[in-house]
Amino acid sequence: MVIAKPQWFVRRKYGGWGLMPKTWQGWIYSLIMIIIVLGLVNAPLDMKYKIVIILAAAIFFFIDIGSAMIRLKDEREKIHEAVAERNALWAVLLVLVIGISYQAAESAVKGNYSSMDWFLVAAVFVALVVKAVSNIWLDRKD
Amino acid sequence: MKTKIGFYRKKLNITQEELAQKVEVTRQTIISLEQGKYNPSLELAYRLTRALGQKKIEDVFLLNSR
Repeated sequence: MVIAKPQWFVRRKYGGWGLMPKTWQGWIYSLIMIIIVLGLVNAPLDMKYKIVIILAAAIFFFIDIGSAMIRLKDEREKIHEAVAERNALWAVLLVLVIGISYQAAESAVKGNYSSMDWFLVAAVFVALVVKAVSNIWLDRKD
Repeated sequence: MKTKIGFYRKKLNITQEELAQKVEVTRQTIISLEQGKYNPSLELAYRLTRALGQKKIEDVFLLNSR
């Protein structure tokens, strides 16, 4: 079940990712989301239950907002979003590759690869897989 | 591509925001379309033509005009 409607929001362009409220319904939704999260953080619950409930709430809002983002219909905004996200990804990949290259060179000099951050390597690999899967899906779609 | 979106919109006496809501785009997209900065998809061109009360796309969108 999704609650957030795409017509309540506009795409956040200049300050990160996500949506900005556009209508009063969007502002009410955002306010309720904040109240719920703050309420859970300050709730007099056992920490292990609190973490689970906050995580569940965060996942719910992530899916709800994400669903609204996907359903935003403006084609020009979608194109701009795609280009901006592509540029951001290239910037991230560039920094990752520079970081991995530096760590690899440092490790080669030391003769010890245990200090490499393999999480960075995994991040680049995941990006490759996601791009390949996306292209396969797009080619089949149209 | 030049358009007559602004002309027909003013003829209908509706705002850019009202037209944007009718065709489910943002007001910024309507502005870009009226200024000829953005070329819409065929589907959006059809929706705009209908929303502006016109029958032919070529009455609203002027091809071969730069």
